[in-house]
Amino acid sequence: MMSKLLATVKKEILLLLRDRVGLSILFIMPMALIFVMTLIQDSAFKTMNEKGIPIVFINNDNDSLGILIEQGLRNNDLCSFNDSIDGKPATAELAQKAVGEGKFLVGIIIPKGATKALRKNVTQLVSETLNGEDSAAIKLNQLQDSVEITILIDPVAKKSFLISVTSNLREFISEVKTKIMFQTFADQIAEVIPDKKNTPKNTYKKSQIIKYKEIYASRSEDKIVPNAVQHNVPAWTIFAMFFIAIPLSGSIMKEKNEGSAFRLHTMPTPYLLLVNGKIIVYVMVCLIQFLLMLSVGQIFLPMLGLPALVLGNSLLGIFILTLATAFAATGYGVMVGTLATTEHQAAIMGSLSILLLSALGGIWVPSYVMPEVMRDISAWSPLNWSLEGFYKLFLRGGGVADIFTDALKLFAFFLATMAISTIVNRKKRTV
Amino acid sequence: MSNTAIIEIENLTKTFKNATEPAVDGISFSINRNEIFGLLGPNGAGKTTTISILCGLFPPGSGKIVIDGKNLHTELSSIKKIIGIVPQDIALYPTLTACENLEFYGSMYGLQGKGLKDKIELWLNKLGLTDAAKRKISTYSGGMKRRVNLIAGVLHDPKILFLDEPTVGVDVQSRNVIIEHLKEINARGTTIIYTSHHMEEAENFCTMVSIIDHGKILIRGTPAELISNNAGSTNLEHVFLNLTNRKLRD
Repeated sequence: MMSKLLATVKKEILLLLRDRVGLSILFIMPMALIFVMTLIQDSAFKTMNEKGIPIVFINNDNDSLGILIEQGLRNNDLCSFNDSIDGKPATAELAQKAVGEGKFLVGIIIPKGATKALRKNVTQLVSETLNGEDSAAIKLNQLQDSVEITILIDPVAKKSFLISVTSNLREFISEVKTKIMFQTFADQIAEVIPDKKNTPKNTYKKSQIIKYKEIYASRSEDKIVPNAVQHNVPAWTIFAMFFIAIPLSGSIMKEKNEGSAFRLHTMPTPYLLLVNGKIIVYVMVCLIQFLLMLSVGQIFLPMLGLPALVLGNSLLGIFILTLATAFAATGYGVMVGTLATTEHQAAIMGSLSILLLSALGGIWVPSYVMPEVMRDISAWSPLNWSLEGFYKLFLRGGGVADIFTDALKLFAFFLATMAISTIVNRKKRTV
Repeated sequence: MSNTAIIEIENLTKTFKNATEPAVDGISFSINRNEIFGLLGPNGAGKTTTISILCGLFPPGSGKIVIDGKNLHTELSSIKKIIGIVPQDIALYPTLTACENLEFYGSMYGLQGKGLKDKIELWLNKLGLTDAAKRKISTYSGGMKRRVNLIAGVLHDPKILFLDEPTVGVDVQSRNVIIEHLKEINARGTTIIYTSHHMEEAENFCTMVSIIDHGKILIRGTPAELISNNAGSTNLEHVFLNLTNRKLRD
């Protein structure tokens, strides 16, 4: 039996080596994908950081609030500040048109008398507080004179991107408002309570009550910083490994079309032995693919100025998960090749289903940004199990115990695809 | 059932899914050891279905088949070890060389090592393919492919050899070489079951012939018997046309 298995393995290796198109799909395509996707994503972040988001600013206030926001935006690396449009001073109407045409991503309009209104609100708040008025009345008064800063948004810009930009801007504007409110409040207190006249005017500036410290909650001893490389290398490697379904199912279909399958069925060799020969070879191909992708992440991407891929703490975990993914991918390929009736059908069925499973699995868009229904469906994609496992290893610093369930699910998927293939193959022959 | 029979078929029936008529309709016959048995019939007569069932490609609908004393239904894997098949379509890997193809198929019959290599060398030499042994099958002519196709079916010295139109589409030279070596294989004790549309070839090659049509065996005998028993027939083709009529078949 072993000599038959070895002969099948040898035959599969020879067939694969002589299929140049198949080989290029297996190795060159995924490497190109990693290069292109990582470079695009990385350069998108760089462009944003280096050039800044184009913002048009209209300061109709010309007082403390407007001036402080303007100063802040001019000094903010996130923004590319503009207060004129096509050589003309920016106005609300011009800004709305320009943002609508996509000349600027965001427009900010500070209304006339914003500082005065803000001061009035604070003064009123202080006096009402000191006079003992109830909080509901204070809130009502505040609403009547609230300052409305308009943020114009380019309708073409992606919502997720805008949410991050506008929340940054809102945070910054709110900080400036708070500073002015605090200062006005201090001035009012000083007037009401003369003993406090010498209160330092920039107390707020010196003491920041709440500070933020961002730490990636990874358990890795290495400093894993989530970046385009850490996300893309595992994602596209899994995609490439599952893309093996196309040449593998194609090879099964070729055997049927070229008559070899017919001859093999008349021979004293079990179906599973013949399939196992294919599985052994294609699992090896998957492992080689994985090593190549790792070398791209660790050696070639840094040559292009990108950060190097950090593998995390568990090489054993990586091996187990890669093996499980490789088995799941080859099992899927065997199933597609068994279900399809023509080579053309196998190619379409294989490629479309992998694209669908990868989209559902979070390869293209992270599953956490998907709607709940899609997230539930995503949890059934083998590519998602693999991706989640690799994120645990590469981003969260996890070990074998953390990826155990993911690997188990992938092995179970392999067994399920093999069971389906065996049943379908038997049924197809029972004509 | 006869003691000299190597294949015994009783009341074999096969109806395919969605088909209105059976492809094989209750046929019974036996094939003796060392015979060259021709199963002849027009297109759709039931020849390929019968041979496919005998090779274990798909199960019969009903009936009993015993091959070399083994029941096909219960001992298929043992039967597969003693049969060889030369299909009508070339069943080889086009991107592998003749040697690589034969090594693989030989291994599937349990042959290995020097024994396998020697057999491949011997057969390639016999069929005039030694010089082309290291070339990919895709570069071969039709006749060369047929010869390799034949070797793949006989490498393991089968007790029974099924030949489905083994000489279709080849030149006279290749056909003669193939037939000559098939006779040699038969002389060494292999029973041959042969189907063909080539009546002259069948007449000269077969020791026993059955004509099948609409899934039923119409007649059985040696070619000489069939010709002499059919008045006005001077060759097997006349017998065949008289029995199966001249109407075109799909």
